Amino acid sequence: MGYFLFRRTISFVLTLLAVSVVVFAVMNILPGDPALSILGLDATEDALAALREELGLNEPVLSRYLAWIAGAVQGDFGISQSFRVPVSELIAERLPLTVSLAISGMVVTVILAVALGVAAAANHGKAGDWGIMFLSQLGIAVPAFWLSILLVLLFAVKLRWLPPGGFPGWSEPAAAVRSLILPTVALALVQSAVLARVTRSSALEVMRLDYIRTARAMGFSRRRVLWRHVLPNALIPIVTIVGLQFAALVTGTIVIENVFYLPGLGRLIFQSIANRDLPTVQALVMLFAAIVVTANFIVDLLYLAIDPRLKARS
Amino acid sequence: MTRLPPNLIIGAVLVALVAGTAALSLVWTPHDHTLLNIRGKFAPPSELHWLGTDQLGRDVFSQLMVAARNSVAVALISVCLGGVIGVALGLLASAMGGVVEDVIMRIADIGFAFPALLFAIMLAAVFGPSLMVAIIAIAFINIPVFARVTRASANQIWTREYVYAARAAGMGRVTISRDHVLPNIAAPIIVQATIEFAIAILAEAALSYLGLGAQPPAPSWGRMLSEAQTLMYLAPQLAIYPGLCIVTAVLGFSLLGDGLRDITDPRLVRQR
Amino acid sequence: MIEAAGLTVELGAGQAVREASFVIAPGDRIGIVGESGCGKTMLGLALMGMVPDAGRVSGSLTVDGTQMVGAGEATWQRLRARRVAMIFQEPMAALNPIKRVGETVMEPMMVHLGLGRDAARARALELFREVGIPDPEARLRQFPHEISGGQRQRVLIALALACDPGVLIADEPTTALDANVALRVTQLLVGLAERRTMGLVFISHDLAAVARATERVMVMYGGDIVERGATGEVLVRPRHPYTQGLLSARPSPGNMRATAGRRGRLPTIPGSVPPLAELAPGCRFSGRCPVELDVCRGERPPLRGTMICHRAEEGA
Repeated sequence: MGYFLFRRTISFVLTLLAVSVVVFAVMNILPGDPALSILGLDATEDALAALREELGLNEPVLSRYLAWIAGAVQGDFGISQSFRVPVSELIAERLPLTVSLAISGMVVTVILAVALGVAAAANHGKAGDWGIMFLSQLGIAVPAFWLSILLVLLFAVKLRWLPPGGFPGWSEPAAAVRSLILPTVALALVQSAVLARVTRSSALEVMRLDYIRTARAMGFSRRRVLWRHVLPNALIPIVTIVGLQFAALVTGTIVIENVFYLPGLGRLIFQSIANRDLPTVQALVMLFAAIVVTANFIVDLLYLAIDPRLKARS
Repeated sequence: MTRLPPNLIIGAVLVALVAGTAALSLVWTPHDHTLLNIRGKFAPPSELHWLGTDQLGRDVFSQLMVAARNSVAVALISVCLGGVIGVALGLLASAMGGVVEDVIMRIADIGFAFPALLFAIMLAAVFGPSLMVAIIAIAFINIPVFARVTRASANQIWTREYVYAARAAGMGRVTISRDHVLPNIAAPIIVQATIEFAIAILAEAALSYLGLGAQPPAPSWGRMLSEAQTLMYLAPQLAIYPGLCIVTAVLGFSLLGDGLRDITDPRLVRQR
Repeated sequence: MIEAAGLTVELGAGQAVREASFVIAPGDRIGIVGESGCGKTMLGLALMGMVPDAGRVSGSLTVDGTQMVGAGEATWQRLRARRVAMIFQEPMAALNPIKRVGETVMEPMMVHLGLGRDAARARALELFREVGIPDPEARLRQFPHEISGGQRQRVLIALALACDPGVLIADEPTTALDANVALRVTQLLVGLAERRTMGLVFISHDLAAVARATERVMVMYGGDIVERGATGEVLVRPRHPYTQGLLSARPSPGNMRATAGRRGRLPTIPGSVPPLAELAPGCRFSGRCPVELDVCRGERPPLRGTMICHRAEEGA
């Protein structure tokens, strides 16, 4: 088990490093002269030289990369070109909203998907099963941003129950939560479509196994067998997909924040693209990619917690 | 062969509908999709304008048709591009084995850390948003997907008798990969490509919606939706049609992909 | 106390069990033998109300006086574990892999008997001792993959005994085990049945194990109970042609010697058990029977004494 943890941790760190190399290369080497990309073709030579100096572009590439990584590890991502404040401040300001959205989206996704997937498996071959599978097939094909627009049309424009977008700030908790309901639902409905299918097939697989027959032979109710015996075992493959989905969910928040005008990291990325604020974009892309990689790492650790057989083997 | 699975049939019909519309738009649309008519803006559906007109009086139906063409073109180019590179890398990994295989697959793993959106964001920040950015970003994320599928399938083929025979006959790795491995792994690759096609259409729509893909005036379902969103109180219907088009196309390709997998993968004894 | 009369299990393809009648009283030890696919397991499952969803059960089956044919799932759930318990062939696969075996054994006591955790644990420990699991304290905390096949089967027996059932159905309990371990598990089951005056249904194709474990035996073929009687009687002087075939196909010092000189193989019953749908409507054994009559195929033989066979009168 210790060996497994060690190997997994090493590979996690190496992946993060590789990701940082890719991000750095795309953002710094691909454009040729980042200063030119930021200021545009009509910039004066003086302005360009000043910016090159500020961004440290006169240094060799390798030392620039090392400086960036060394800073990033300490939470220093440089100065935003458009906001003229440290990028880390911008991130700190907007992170809570994005994290709230991602976590609430994930929680709702898992609850919804597990409930639907198990319900479909329990009614295998019956109308309920077909209905849930049909909805999930449809859900996979619906873009989150369109679903968001439809939800806004119904609940904000037509029924006027919830705000169509925007965020009042955490100082008004009730209003803040209300403004996160539609984004969360939009995020979760689409994500749970995929997860419900995985849950269903995983549960069906487990239901055919001998130990489920043992549980039934012990006179446990169908519900108990389903939730106490089938589900915990069916969760093992589900955890992988949840990890992969977290990646989709995190990038999903980028889209959803833009649909609902929520001032989170996703909004910030697009403002920075519009402002040609390369240091900020670079920091945010690295942050999102790191979240994706970390999510997969955590999934591997969760395996150890869920499946005692793995502990013995590794 | 027994009866075709229903998802294959429904998928094929939807794909034919989308592809047919895209092809038809090359030679005919009810109206010129760029024709402005400010006085006739937000027209309701009529015999003249089947789905009405938008905020600039352009014919919505014609725009949707042209957008179908753009959508299919972007998906086709990016999936082919990513597919060719990914399959080549997968074949190489499988043929060489050892360190080469390890390195290629580790790089593929890293590719999975970048969803298409993140990659498009980086490119858009550097080069400015364009359709090309969307195509490259989608192609890029397809590379590791195809590399994995190809390697996994190819590794099985390399253990077959006829490959041993070919090696014994002195055939080189490249020749074997081309003549024996590739033809035998075509089925899973085609299945994957079909499913990736669905994902590509979804990704293109999202990127265009966010302004990272098709730029005005090129019609795109995603961009039509982002324009419609600002007009939600005036003309909510405009926010409906492009979404339905996306769902039709994505559903079509994903059902077709599932159906193809059902009939080509003998290991899948469906437990329905 | 289980009483079956004309108990029939119909699956899509045909009758997996045809008009079985028998009584299992407290302390009875009954064997069910036959080749695979003869309906032994299906009969066991029928006694638990666990016939597959597509199956239809008819006839009469009473458990402690309650008619169970047509009873709902909820009624069966009240019976399982407390009146009738069952253990299965594959001890590895039959235990929940992510639960400690102690938890597994405690669960039915907490659910059905309303015991608290501590009481359930104490009872589980007692049961582990009763079924002869060494170092039971430590075993309670282990996972199924951490213990041997024989120990797992003992855990399953402890689980089956958790709610003190009147009848224990053991479906091929020793088949997956080494000969040595199998012998000890068989002895354990016999001892438990005697001590607890618990009915034991021992389903097996291992005739030696059945001979050791049971007092009475029922021989099944194609869903019919073709012969029955005292175990010693049936297995020593088989009367039904199928039982005779089954016994002669078994390696024993006698027939090993007999075949060794003739370069022959063990005598076998020709052919194999046909699928349900292809069984003859009359005597199920027709087609493979060495002493078949014209009537056998089309007409179901009546029950005569201890067996159903058209040749029963001749004492075939």
